[in-house]
Amino acid sequence: MTRTIEITINPKGEATVQTKGFAGASCKDASRLIEQALGEKTAEQHTAEFYQTQVTSERVRQS
Amino acid sequence: MSHIVSIRTQIRDPAALAAACVRLGLAQPTQGKARLYSSEAEGHIVQLPYWRYPVVIDTTSGQISMDNFNGHWGNPSELDKLLQAYGCEKAKIEARRAGHNVTEQTLADGSIKLTIQVGATGGAA
Repeated sequence: MTRTIEITINPKGEATVQTKGFAGASCKDASRLIEQALGEKTAEQHTAEFYQTQVTSERVRQS
Repeated sequence: MSHIVSIRTQIRDPAALAAACVRLGLAQPTQGKARLYSSEAEGHIVQLPYWRYPVVIDTTSGQISMDNFNGHWGNPSELDKLLQAYGCEKAKIEARRAGHNVTEQTLADGSIKLTIQVGATGGAA
């Protein structure tokens, strides 16, 4: 899935940053620089995707 | 979606401020001291349309000094436009610096939406 960061800036200059397509906490790493560059964080909300674990492969051998 | 953050835009990048002024057709900011109604302020000086006094921006702190007498000496929406333009230009600068593509779209309510595509290699923004 395409990973995007959407920034919406309203006519009053207030910005909302949304990350899409990221699983787990990787979204925070992706958008941190943008958020810090824009200004002061006033609110934050996690979506269901945030709580998904990133898929990693694991091989189990049983003897 | 993964997470949503609300941000109060702060003007801290002189290059993005200059780009915002170009975007709005304003004169380029100058650095120095400016006289306001009852005080003086030092920083990046921007003359907004039809404002009696300029706004002075301290890019170190993001603080904006101004005197518009509750809108009588200048329409607050002009400052809002500057903040919006700055946010757009700053976000584009940062996204391009990280090597990402950015597209811009104006929404019906006057908001501006920027979409940054994060590369498959997972470059951080």
